[in-house]
Amino acid sequence: MDTLIQAFVFPGLLYILLWTVGLFWFFRKFMAKLHKRVGPHYNGPAGTYQTLFDFSKLLTKESITPHGVNPYLFSMMPLLALITAMLPAAFIPWTEDYPVVVTSYGLLALVVLIGIEPFLLFLTGFGSENKYSFLGGIRVLAQSISMETAFLLSALSPALLFGTMNLTEIVEQSTWLSFLILFPGFVVYFIALLGLLEQPPFNIPDAEQEIVYGFYTEYSGTNYFLLKMAAFAEFMAVFGTATTLFLGGHYGIFFDGYIFFFVKMLMVAIVMMTIRAATPRITLKQMLSFSWRYLVPISLLNVAWVMVAKVFFFGSI
Amino acid sequence: MQKIKDILKEFSTEYIEDYKKIWIKSKLTTSDSLLSVAKALKEEGLRSLSTVSPTDFPDTDTIEMNYFFEDLQTKRNLWLKCDIPREIEKCEIASLTPLFASANWHEREAFSMFGVRFLNHPDLRPIIASEDFKGKAPFRRDFDWDAHEKDTMIHMKMIVDAFKEEQENNEINLDADSSEMVLNWGPTHPASGPIRLRIHTDGEEIISVDPDIGYVWRALEHLVTKKDFIGAIVAVERLCFMDNINSMVGYSMAVEEIAGTEITPFAKWMRVLLGEVARVSSHVMGLGGFFNNLGLHTLFMWNMDMREFFLDFLESYSGARIATAAIEPGGVRYGLDMTMFDELQKAIEKFDEGIDEVYTIFVQNPTMKMRAKQVGQLSADDIEDFGLSGIVARGSGVKTDIRMDEPYAAYDEVDMEYITQKDGTSYDRFVMLFEELKQSVNIIRQAKKHIEDGVASGAFNPTKDHMVKVPKKLPKGEAISRVEWARGEVLMHLVTQEKSSKPYRLKLRAPSFNHTMMLDHLLKDKTLSDVPLVFGSLYICQGDLDR
Repeated sequence: MDTLIQAFVFPGLLYILLWTVGLFWFFRKFMAKLHKRVGPHYNGPAGTYQTLFDFSKLLTKESITPHGVNPYLFSMMPLLALITAMLPAAFIPWTEDYPVVVTSYGLLALVVLIGIEPFLLFLTGFGSENKYSFLGGIRVLAQSISMETAFLLSALSPALLFGTMNLTEIVEQSTWLSFLILFPGFVVYFIALLGLLEQPPFNIPDAEQEIVYGFYTEYSGTNYFLLKMAAFAEFMAVFGTATTLFLGGHYGIFFDGYIFFFVKMLMVAIVMMTIRAATPRITLKQMLSFSWRYLVPISLLNVAWVMVAKVFFFGSI
Repeated sequence: MQKIKDILKEFSTEYIEDYKKIWIKSKLTTSDSLLSVAKALKEEGLRSLSTVSPTDFPDTDTIEMNYFFEDLQTKRNLWLKCDIPREIEKCEIASLTPLFASANWHEREAFSMFGVRFLNHPDLRPIIASEDFKGKAPFRRDFDWDAHEKDTMIHMKMIVDAFKEEQENNEINLDADSSEMVLNWGPTHPASGPIRLRIHTDGEEIISVDPDIGYVWRALEHLVTKKDFIGAIVAVERLCFMDNINSMVGYSMAVEEIAGTEITPFAKWMRVLLGEVARVSSHVMGLGGFFNNLGLHTLFMWNMDMREFFLDFLESYSGARIATAAIEPGGVRYGLDMTMFDELQKAIEKFDEGIDEVYTIFVQNPTMKMRAKQVGQLSADDIEDFGLSGIVARGSGVKTDIRMDEPYAAYDEVDMEYITQKDGTSYDRFVMLFEELKQSVNIIRQAKKHIEDGVASGAFNPTKDHMVKVPKKLPKGEAISRVEWARGEVLMHLVTQEKSSKPYRLKLRAPSFNHTMMLDHLLKDKTLSDVPLVFGSLYICQGDLDR
């Protein structure tokens, strides 16, 4: 029974569905505010039902598989992408009673699962038999390869500091001091996160003014819904990892609980949205040179800094 | 001016006369000498060919070619004519494209619309008109539009077939071992609008760009000949919806010149005022569109908010927000109720409130600067060779602005300066838009104050002075008029017949046509990411591109 609830309610399917609908609505409303618009308004209180209706519309629409594509690759990949994006939820310590899967290699599992996602998206573009999709797929690959190094190195810095890959232990050991030590790592993690999630200024793979919608171009109906939901589940995985690794998980100010975990994830989302509203896209070349010239060296320096800080503040290696 | 006359005197001409203040009008007796005249003119400094305008005269069995040469530096201009035979087989003339790069597409247009063949043209393919008009010369007076429209189904099939054939064949000729491919950027694309760029790419690198235009061709130049002189304004204003007032001003000036009408000072100032309001509403969209092409929609939303207030004023004046039809030959269409200025005041206040924020957040945006300063560079020589105008020309440091070069309406009394930038990159053109926006609002303030003072002192009667009568039927004649449109120079060449109530021929020379010609030059060896940025910075409107 417990397993069923975990798989379908929390932190499984229903939770992720709710998160997707809620976060999508929040993104729209928040962006609208920054754009001096109103945003969703008519359906439900403050337009909250709008995303629900949009998703139900997508689910009921005909799913078109274009002529000439590889149908298995084309229809399998969205499903695989969604499942891969949902899996990290099982490893994240939402409260004291979680994670669902207790392992001492939780961090490794998260990094691997988040790292696989771009390759699945590349395959959707590869299987679409469309020039825009193909270019989008290639861009996903180029971007994820150059961002993943920095992502991995910065995500590993808490493990180095606390000497464990067990996420529960990392959360338990985190203090204000460790937050300050890990702050440079958090900044690098955040920038790499923008690249991995294809958010401005790194929204190069689905740059609609250049290559229409990148790897999404040929998708519609249910498959598009699955891909969009995968993207939002991926948001959750990445924000949740950030909260666990750098922001102290469910620990709060007066009491501990899931609400603090949620608020911390939302704070990361708000920063991401604000950047989205004020930064234009950069080009692929600029992204590559930024990533390899600055981000990767800085993430290496960060590892060195964490080691020095560990010796200095904690007195051991 | 005298030097140009001396050059022309060396050839056999029917007449050489002064026209307006900065124009010379002349007609060659034979089209054979055109090439050598053009060569001499280019050496003299008239480096831009504004447009090529054929006029069809079936009665005398001739096609009269009109060439408009401009010197952007010294503001000397020449209107050169010559006759060529009308029969399709003999209808040919030497191409000026080898000498004047700007003639390229204009000659292609004359070829598609009038069937004039240009000898030695490097690339004489049809342009603008769709497949079913191929080889048919639709703008000739004897073209039977009714008969043409009877076969609509056949024509649609022709268009579809041509597309399918191109789709099948466009990559066959490419080298099979290379990774070159043809990518369609448009016509249904999030950032293109109704234009298609055939982009030959190797991965992300662009090899060449071949624009395919004509998706919103409405044959406006033909449409006006079906309407009377006042009805024609609704066709002329559809040059582009974003700045419709100034195109109507240009047309009305040409009609007034032929009719010999002088409009009242009040109407002149109203033309300045409305024209600048339209320019503001166009420029704010241009600024927003530039950032849209970089994937950032915030500025566009903010600017649309600002633009609504200026449209409110246009609505209170004319009843329409976009297609106002507010200018007509003889003045402006409606009298002015002074309470309408309250709307304008609100708009100006809204502008003042928001413009500093736009400057700090967007004009000084480091990411945008990093991208836009590297691409789309046009030198001052390019500007003159390709006949570019408007913000594109001034962004490269060329001082050209029809409002000051050849003042019309009340611009001779307006206090304004040339605004230029130095480097001519995409970034400079964006800054140009922003600076001109401020200049336009400044002119609106001046015009508003002038009108208010005039009304207060009794010099203007706002309900009666707006219009003087222009005869319904005009004498035989022809005129050209130039206006500084939001996107650059619009030149209109109007021809009328004796006692006719309709225009006989109206040539609309629109700036986006020249600017689109530059895309291949600017995008070669760049990457796909630069396409929307460069395209957006040229401030192209597909409406005046196709007409």
